[in-house]
Amino acid sequence: MAIKKKRYALVIDSRKCINCKACVVACKAENKVPVGNFRNRINEERKGEYPKLSINFEPEQCHHCTDPSCVRVCPTGASWQRKDGIVLVNYDECIGCRYCMIACPYDARYFNEEEGVVDKCTFCSHRVDKGDIPACVETCPSKVRVFGDLEDPTNRIHELLSTRRYRVKEPQTGNGPQLYYLL
Amino acid sequence: MGTIRMDRRLFLKSAGATAGAVAATQVGCLKYFKKGRSSAAETREIPTTCELCPNKCSAIAVVEGGFVRKLNPNPENPKSRDMLCARGNAAIKQVYDPDRIKQPMIRVGTRGEGKWKPVSWDEAFDFAAKKLSEVKDKYGPQGTLWSSTEGFQEVFFKNLGLAFGSPNLVRHPTLCLASVNLAYSATFGTVPSFDLLNSKFVIISGANRFESIITPDTMDLIGGVMERKAKLVYLDPRFTVTAAKADEWYPIKPGTDLAFILAMIHVIIAENRHSKDFVATYTTGFEQLAEHVKQYTPEWAEKETEIPAKDIVRIAREFADAGARALYYAGRRSSWYQNDFQMRRAQAILNAIVGNWDQMGGMVPNAKLPKGEFLFMPWDEPKAPRVDEIEKNFPLAAKGDGVYLKLRENVLSGKPYPVKGWMVYKQDPLNAMPDQSKTMKMIDQMDFIGVIDVQMSDMAWYADVVFPESAYLERTDPVEVMPGIWPAVVYRQQVVKPIHDTKPNLEIVQGLAKRLGLGDYFDYTIDQWVEAEFKDLPIPMASEHMKKHGVWAASGQPSYGKTLNPDHRFVTKSGKIEIFSERLQEAGYDPLPVYAAPVQPPGDRFRLILGRVGYFTHANQSNNVWLHEFMKENDLWINPKPAERLGIRDGATVTVSSSVGSVKLKARVTEEIRPDCVFMLHGFGKKSKMQSLVYNVGASDAVILETAWDKVSGNAAFHETFVKVANA
Repeated sequence: MAIKKKRYALVIDSRKCINCKACVVACKAENKVPVGNFRNRINEERKGEYPKLSINFEPEQCHHCTDPSCVRVCPTGASWQRKDGIVLVNYDECIGCRYCMIACPYDARYFNEEEGVVDKCTFCSHRVDKGDIPACVETCPSKVRVFGDLEDPTNRIHELLSTRRYRVKEPQTGNGPQLYYLL
Repeated sequence: MGTIRMDRRLFLKSAGATAGAVAATQVGCLKYFKKGRSSAAETREIPTTCELCPNKCSAIAVVEGGFVRKLNPNPENPKSRDMLCARGNAAIKQVYDPDRIKQPMIRVGTRGEGKWKPVSWDEAFDFAAKKLSEVKDKYGPQGTLWSSTEGFQEVFFKNLGLAFGSPNLVRHPTLCLASVNLAYSATFGTVPSFDLLNSKFVIISGANRFESIITPDTMDLIGGVMERKAKLVYLDPRFTVTAAKADEWYPIKPGTDLAFILAMIHVIIAENRHSKDFVATYTTGFEQLAEHVKQYTPEWAEKETEIPAKDIVRIAREFADAGARALYYAGRRSSWYQNDFQMRRAQAILNAIVGNWDQMGGMVPNAKLPKGEFLFMPWDEPKAPRVDEIEKNFPLAAKGDGVYLKLRENVLSGKPYPVKGWMVYKQDPLNAMPDQSKTMKMIDQMDFIGVIDVQMSDMAWYADVVFPESAYLERTDPVEVMPGIWPAVVYRQQVVKPIHDTKPNLEIVQGLAKRLGLGDYFDYTIDQWVEAEFKDLPIPMASEHMKKHGVWAASGQPSYGKTLNPDHRFVTKSGKIEIFSERLQEAGYDPLPVYAAPVQPPGDRFRLILGRVGYFTHANQSNNVWLHEFMKENDLWINPKPAERLGIRDGATVTVSSSVGSVKLKARVTEEIRPDCVFMLHGFGKKSKMQSLVYNVGASDAVILETAWDKVSGNAAFHETFVKVANA
């Protein structure tokens, strides 16, 4: 029997983001992220002159790319990708050279000083493997993120991506980012 | 698999927004995979109820090896809508905060000097009981003041104050939402909820709902605006996140919201757009209103508010056309101006005349759920009148809550009688009340101050004895019914054992009561109390259910329209919705909202306005390490035009001074505020060295805020202070 193939991705409706930081703290707790480091963030863009103003918020984390440059440049194979698309760091193999941090077009990685290794968003793979959703997705008051499996046609992200316009960030890198921002 | 792949290609292609996203090659090799560094500790999941703010969201605590590792949202609570905000997530750090008070402490230096002697609970109780008894012997039980803020265990503290014989309980509402509560009660006989999930047109005056999170309103409103095509019109001198998400933002001249609302009413009545059937059947005083608002034309309001008359007319029309699904949203911390009650009354009246009462998408009277009561031994009612003379000064205000600022004035003057003992639970009057120097004087004239708190607040720092309360994750609390459109019952149960020598408030109250000869009134355990409350809940096996789920909510849709029956008697004098209020008239207030132009700051001054961000609302959250990361110090928002005039550069340190105090802050030169206002965030500039992250960092708004209050409710008026700003 063939094992059903999976490909995880995140659809983000930034317009609903109110910059409350719930996702950032939930991630911190769930993944024991050290104070001063973050696996996800909310980008802010403030524009205009009083009283014609605008603010846009954009949550961002690892894009779990289909052809991730971080994995390509890793000299030890510590940065690797699961068959379901989740990009991870094998801490035992990481030598802390930080090539991957430079190679990442999204600034999604940080160096964990305590452990001496590079770390990043895992899509909460330990939760996903149990059938749960990532902590940032779950805790969000306005449900900005939708997490799902692109290989499952019944998944809600299919509906969103087939009915709404969207963009990905830095497509020209060829990394194939899997964070889809609804327009 | 092939067909699925094709699906993906199809939708990506049809949406056509990206070229690079279709590459499906799997990269990476699994051969080096090793097991992660997971611990083998036992994991348990315990449902409980968050206490970081008053929303009472349901959470599921994940406990690993005796430590709270994570708090997940509990989807069973309809009010918290399956979410936990940043504060809720950071509650873990409240438990494991190195600054926590780890045992009872008695002051040994002067007040505020920070010299403490760690003592046993017996010593702390004996000391406080002796001091309280001395005050009682000298000044009577009314010589003690019992301050507290909202919390599930607050009831025990209040009961101790009452059993001790003091009428002087004072709570947070007059520093928060007293004016809005009183205005809606005076009009509808009750304070309704606002059905933002189903509203089509929402107007908000300054209630920054996307940064001051209220459940379920914040989530329902963002969904409404972004998904369900509801329209949001927002008035605020500052460009908040709510302004950024609104369809229309008007930087209204501060303090003139009442003019905007009265002009809207003017337009709706002049154009005969009000809900005539509803007004005729359920309200009283419409004719007086119609006559009264003739003077308030949109052209007049434009001069007051700086909102163009044509926009006022258009908004009034759109609002009336949305009818029962139009809402002028009330908000919560309504302590802004000295006319606050009347401004809220005008909102209530506007809502009434479009007939949104008890309608889907309108204002809905709260559904309630029954709960059992633990029957404790009753005490004699305190005999003395309240020190704030609430009956005389604010005859319509909620007696049990007191009026904070008037109370402070009277305590300072010693009239009508001296108050020399102060017990505080879970509150920080030094930061919550305007004019910190006055609060400091109040502290100075006390013979005794005792504080019960989880952390060393500024108030605790100035106390004579500090009783450390266990954090909410370390306690079991009374059961709480949350009335609303989607009513629910929530339960807070102990998740981990206290990690320090702390106690739940009930046990602190009992320790004091025993030594004050009041032990019999508190002769029960939290479990007995909670079991009694479980008894009348409309839930089969309530005790088991609540322990397993932490929350219970009635299933199904809300029931709208229960009060829409011509025979329904509203809890008002006339039994109708009171547009014109005889009760207000009899009490000496305007029976219909009358506009008086607010004083505006002179040329060299700015109006100081306050607000919150999503990750800090209360002063007790800024020392939380996971929240502090987002903002390490508060700053002063100032518009570039006046900043340039004053030679103030972004990031420069400025002195901000009012008639009562002055603080130093860094300037944030920003377009996102009116040129005649400045803004600062609450919760910084702490005096307590055991708030180490924010001790002496930034500034406390309480230092420069002047004392002013709303005449009817006594609610503090926090936006009535004019400040000078200069380079430091």
